[in-house]
Amino acid sequence: MIELVVEGGHQFGLVQGLREIWAFREVAWAFAERYVRLKYKQAGLGIAWAIIQPLSFLLIFVILFGRLAHISSGNTPYQAFALSALVPWTFLQTAVSMGSGALLMDGGLMRKVYFARECPVIGAVLATGLDFVIGLGLLLILGPFLGTRISWAMVYVLPLWIVMAVLGLGLALGFGALSVYYRDFRFVMPLFIQLWMFGSPVAYPLTTVPDKYRALYLIANPAAGILDGFRRIFALGQTPDLGLLAVSASATLVIAWAGYVLFRRMEPGFADSV
Amino acid sequence: MTWAVRFEDICKRYRGGRRGYPSIRSDLTRLGRRLLSPLQRGDKPFGYLALDHVSFEVPQGQAFAIIGPNGAGKTTALKMLTRISHPTSGRLRVRGRVGALIEVGSGVHPELTGRENIWLYGRIIGMSRQEIARRFDDIVDFAELRESIDMPVKMYSSGMQLRLGFAVASHIDPDIFVVDEALAVGDAGFQVKCIERMTRLVSEGRTLIFVSHNLSAVETICPRGLFLLDGRIEAMGEARDVLRHYLDWVDTRQQARIEHQVQNRPSKFLTIERVSFHDARGQERAAFRTGETVEIRLKVSAQTPVRRPYFEIGISDGRPGNLILCSMLADGHVVDVLEGQNTVTCRIPQLPLLPRVYQIWCSVRSHLAYGELFDWQLVGAFRVADGPAGLNGPGAIAHTGTEAPIHTDYDWRVTTDADARVPS
Repeated sequence: MIELVVEGGHQFGLVQGLREIWAFREVAWAFAERYVRLKYKQAGLGIAWAIIQPLSFLLIFVILFGRLAHISSGNTPYQAFALSALVPWTFLQTAVSMGSGALLMDGGLMRKVYFARECPVIGAVLATGLDFVIGLGLLLILGPFLGTRISWAMVYVLPLWIVMAVLGLGLALGFGALSVYYRDFRFVMPLFIQLWMFGSPVAYPLTTVPDKYRALYLIANPAAGILDGFRRIFALGQTPDLGLLAVSASATLVIAWAGYVLFRRMEPGFADSV
Repeated sequence: MTWAVRFEDICKRYRGGRRGYPSIRSDLTRLGRRLLSPLQRGDKPFGYLALDHVSFEVPQGQAFAIIGPNGAGKTTALKMLTRISHPTSGRLRVRGRVGALIEVGSGVHPELTGRENIWLYGRIIGMSRQEIARRFDDIVDFAELRESIDMPVKMYSSGMQLRLGFAVASHIDPDIFVVDEALAVGDAGFQVKCIERMTRLVSEGRTLIFVSHNLSAVETICPRGLFLLDGRIEAMGEARDVLRHYLDWVDTRQQARIEHQVQNRPSKFLTIERVSFHDARGQERAAFRTGETVEIRLKVSAQTPVRRPYFEIGISDGRPGNLILCSMLADGHVVDVLEGQNTVTCRIPQLPLLPRVYQIWCSVRSHLAYGELFDWQLVGAFRVADGPAGLNGPGAIAHTGTEAPIHTDYDWRVTTDADARVPS
């Protein structure tokens, strides 16, 4: 029989924590299923929201940045240029905002049942993955009419998505843990996400950032390299720049690790604070 | 016998003590202060201790009770056990898989149907898909929700929602089953089902840890237990001893409360200054055992000489009316004159009362049994702390302590009537 030993005032090591998450993977998956069902049950238009959101942003972008501000998108039509980054961006922002809110949303459960506390956050990020799949469908079906390309480069979508999901998860873990203790983060999150969008190459190309700052920019904002990768795939039909991607992936790992460490540090008190 | 659960010197300190949510501002100022004056490192621990160096063992395959008043730390102890909350210090060891039947309303989501809730909630509390598939029908039957299983839970009555939550929680297959006051919320039929489920698990050799205020259920199910008070173990051992200890602790507090209500209001003629209770050897005591000799002594001072006073002493358990009335009007005991300081003693050779707190009321009537010298009023209280020896039924303590208050000797005889016997 397995014997569990809990040492008071002493927390799991980080690696042991990862093992714990793996042991509770089924629970994370159940949370994902739960969020997907809830999301589309509560909303009248259901699954259509996964399309409406990026499309309305696309409309605003095309009018605001394409027509009025004349942002250069090279040889690609601006709408294809914008949509190819909007779909992954929508995933990233939803993953971070839903993931960081999941702990508060299921706080009641945390006080009643034990599972690795990361499970609701992981579940929320996974659930958002479904939105991304629907967004990809949009890129494949509607995209060609707007000027996106379909090519072999699309095999890079999965690795790019994984990097993006890890980034979203790390941020969601960090912000989620903070928002359990400090309710101020309910107001911080939307603000942060909006600022982050304008700080990322969603509406404008990566080349807008001056060359001498670009390396710093890519390290500070790992989303930039990822979004640029998606844009290359869908708007240009090229493979992502692997050098950029390596920088983004490393920065992502650092951020995700920091978020996870923060989460672990704060985790023992969750059930008492929620 | 090996143990299934071991608490080794466990403390739990809650961060409470400060009002409201922790705010960034206050935490930042504290951090700043700490950085500025590194000598003040040794912060005094704040918050309160919900568990204070608690150590105990629950043997494998046994039902174990944790009782105590609200806020004693019972639920905190269970939360350690189910790993929901982390001990501040000490070591907790658990052998086997823990499952909890606790109030679970929050796990059931109103927008989802009963079916979806069983599948998702079941997995969140640790059932595998195969387990749920295998037990799905049992769960639905247990919750009595066959017709409405595909309706969103928000359409359910609150009782149905609770049943759904319990049904899922009670079908996990743990080695150690934790039940926290779950029985209080269901209706009577559902409570019986829960008890049946618990006793079946115990008979299958699972370990049960039962927290409840239903003392009769505790006594019938658990052979051993502990009494938790203010985060400390007040008593531990055989369930009936622990239960007796707990009931007596409740009674002691109630006795103090009643004594506080005693006003010693003098009448125009008499003052009862003090009431005391003594055993057969004249020793003053506050607590007695069923069947013991009790002397109730009243210190009475007469403002003026009083002729022919008739004393009446009533014993009540707090409900309207007396259980026992010792009355000179009935027995004809005569006191010619009462003047100055006196002691009036009423002796009950064999107290026929079961454990709990009893109030003593007193009045004095004038001669010819007419007119009050001293109005009927509460003058004191004593308690019976131990019941009669030799009662060893499964609910002996809970029943003698909470049901009918009067004790008498009796026996049973059950015979089968000859003509009703089934011919073989």
